[in-house]
Amino acid sequence: MKKILALLLAVVLVMGLTACGTEPDTDEFIVGAIYINSRNDTAGYTFAHHNGITKAMEELGLDVNTQLVIVDEVPEDKEQVLAAVDTLVGEGADIIFGISFGYIDAMEEAAKTYPDVIFSHATGYKSNTTNFNNYFGRAYQARYLAGIAAGLKSLEIGNNNVGYVAAYGTEYAETASGINGFAMGVLAVNPNATIYVKNLGAWADEVNEAAFANELIDSYNCGVISQHCDSAQPQIAAQNKGVFGCGYNSDMTPDAPKAHLTAAIWNWNVYYRTAMEAAMNCGEASKFVETMGSGAYYGGLKEGFVDVSPLSENCAPKTAEIIAAVKAMMVNGEWDVFSGVKLQISPDGTITKVDAALVDNNGNEIVPAGGASVEDSVITGTMNYFVAGVKEG
Amino acid sequence: MSFHIVKRDNCPLWKKCALYVGAVVIALLLGSLLLLALGVNPVVYYSRMFTMGTVGNKIAYKVWINYLKSFVPLALTSVALSLAFKMRFWNIGGEGQFILGAIASAFVAFTVGPFLPEPLTLIVMCLAAMAVAGLYGLFVAALKVKFGTNETLMTLMLNYVALYVLIFLAEAKADWNFFLDPGSLRPVFASFADIVSFPSIPLGGQFSLNLCVIFTFLIGALVYVYLKYTKHGYEIAVVGDSAGTARYAGMKVNKIVLRTVFLSAALIGLAAAFKVGTAGILSTSITDDVGWTGIIVAWLSQLNTGVIFVVSALITMLHYGSTVAAATFSQVDSSFANMLQGVILFLVLAADFYTRFRVVIVKKGDK
Repeated sequence: MKKILALLLAVVLVMGLTACGTEPDTDEFIVGAIYINSRNDTAGYTFAHHNGITKAMEELGLDVNTQLVIVDEVPEDKEQVLAAVDTLVGEGADIIFGISFGYIDAMEEAAKTYPDVIFSHATGYKSNTTNFNNYFGRAYQARYLAGIAAGLKSLEIGNNNVGYVAAYGTEYAETASGINGFAMGVLAVNPNATIYVKNLGAWADEVNEAAFANELIDSYNCGVISQHCDSAQPQIAAQNKGVFGCGYNSDMTPDAPKAHLTAAIWNWNVYYRTAMEAAMNCGEASKFVETMGSGAYYGGLKEGFVDVSPLSENCAPKTAEIIAAVKAMMVNGEWDVFSGVKLQISPDGTITKVDAALVDNNGNEIVPAGGASVEDSVITGTMNYFVAGVKEG
Repeated sequence: MSFHIVKRDNCPLWKKCALYVGAVVIALLLGSLLLLALGVNPVVYYSRMFTMGTVGNKIAYKVWINYLKSFVPLALTSVALSLAFKMRFWNIGGEGQFILGAIASAFVAFTVGPFLPEPLTLIVMCLAAMAVAGLYGLFVAALKVKFGTNETLMTLMLNYVALYVLIFLAEAKADWNFFLDPGSLRPVFASFADIVSFPSIPLGGQFSLNLCVIFTFLIGALVYVYLKYTKHGYEIAVVGDSAGTARYAGMKVNKIVLRTVFLSAALIGLAAAFKVGTAGILSTSITDDVGWTGIIVAWLSQLNTGVIFVVSALITMLHYGSTVAAATFSQVDSSFANMLQGVILFLVLAADFYTRFRVVIVKKGDK
């Protein structure tokens, strides 16, 4: 009897072992997320990240209902972020994404407290060599493409004034680089254009987003309105006034079908998928940064992390063709926006590369003619200027 | 058929308890309807909420440490508010007093912290926070006794003045602003946790008890004695019942008001010093809404100091537990806790009505 029992036990044990061995870790992989707003948002920043995380999980065959743990509405308060981390680690999270800039110091500290857990911080600049990285995208590349669409439109309607409703101006490299990328796209097509920027002083402010767009159209006589803000209000304002616009974050053609050209968009799922795959394959948390190749992920058009939304029918002729050609130059790495080489694009589609210094709007030289791109100044936070051609309204 | 509302003379304690517990149960049932609508099993949700996710949690000790970190400022602020409320002085300025206390203690930590021994710094931090917050409260009390201004509006609006001072400090990147981290290009508050922080007593395992928890209970006991057994406490009660009577009895009402409001605001400042001294950093959401939640706690506890500690513990559990429970349900966000707290408050206040009145149905023809 004892022998049979022992045998049975042995069989069960072996089966148990093989079950564990063949089981992919994906079943036990837990993704943690800390959000600044509610996970039930239907638009905006948290929505974009939540969408990216759930989409990446679905692509990887992870169950959003059982393998995703979230603490949301966490303000940029070190104590509260650390408490959220404790909750997520308590729930068994293997990787924790923090989406807001102000989580930076808490994430750094948490990575030390929990060396077995991976920490990944959006829009930050801190990292270590083991279990803590940061991630951001080259939104300026997509902005440049949208700028081309706007520039072509400005030539078509014969109006050199282009407006830009911005959350912030030079205070944040994120907003400054978006404005600069867009402006350089416009100027590549229409060297006579001026880009008027109105600074909201807030990441989301629907009332002023509409008001500032109207002011740019009425007082500055702008014919195309671009934006760096949460809602589609500037595009709707453009449509109401019979002018055109470029949105941000999501395709805004449904919001303003008669005005919208194209929007610079983020595909956060591209990063989230890359990070989750690395986390599942790296074996232990301390190998994460090594597996990712660097402590700072900075994907762009090449990775599909940023892009432009499908061009609407409002776009000028040849827009699609030109954007595709310029996009290819950035994807294969032969040219980048913030370098000492400028593109001159004529409306018939010919693109010429010219050595020309990158100059800010006070006349200071940032990059000498033919010099290398200062793309890193976007993530290190040192891009605190506007390029020539940008005027603050 | 009609009904009359009749005053109840003496509601027995068991009936009171039954009414309050019943109110909470009804609130939870209403909450479970919403949870069901979201496709969440209420039993699982509530069990996770009440255990705060400690069951099967490898780092359960962290839960208790974080729980106490939220509990201390709330309990102390509620006790402080009850002092003013007892006197029918509606101090709605807990948020503002807390914020100024927090700034004052951070100021001390940054300026004299590096030169003084740590225990001394902590004491100076507490005293500075109490003085600044107390004066902020005293200012409103002085306006009230001198010019008869409305203290509800004054304290309420001064909350925003304090909040914007804090936001200014959070965003003003300049050489003079030592509150910010000089190493960061974007404005971020600097940490002083390396300079000074409240010590914790290790209590077996990895759990350690922060000294502030002990102080909070001690202060709670002192306030209880102060209100119940001292002349000052008696004066507060009389002024609360009727300022005219107090005056007739020869009490100096203005002095009592000024003294008590200063004490109330100073204790809120102390709560802020405890919070900042534990966190080692400022934040624009440093109050965690205790100035508002404290009003609810004081009210639900009917200004009874002992009950305030129980209610604070329960409200903190509701908040912390909801976050933990919501973590694993992708449909439920943290706002659910706020909503549930609102429903509980409404129903408990309704129950409170039934402890003092009863409804008598009058049949036709009766008188």
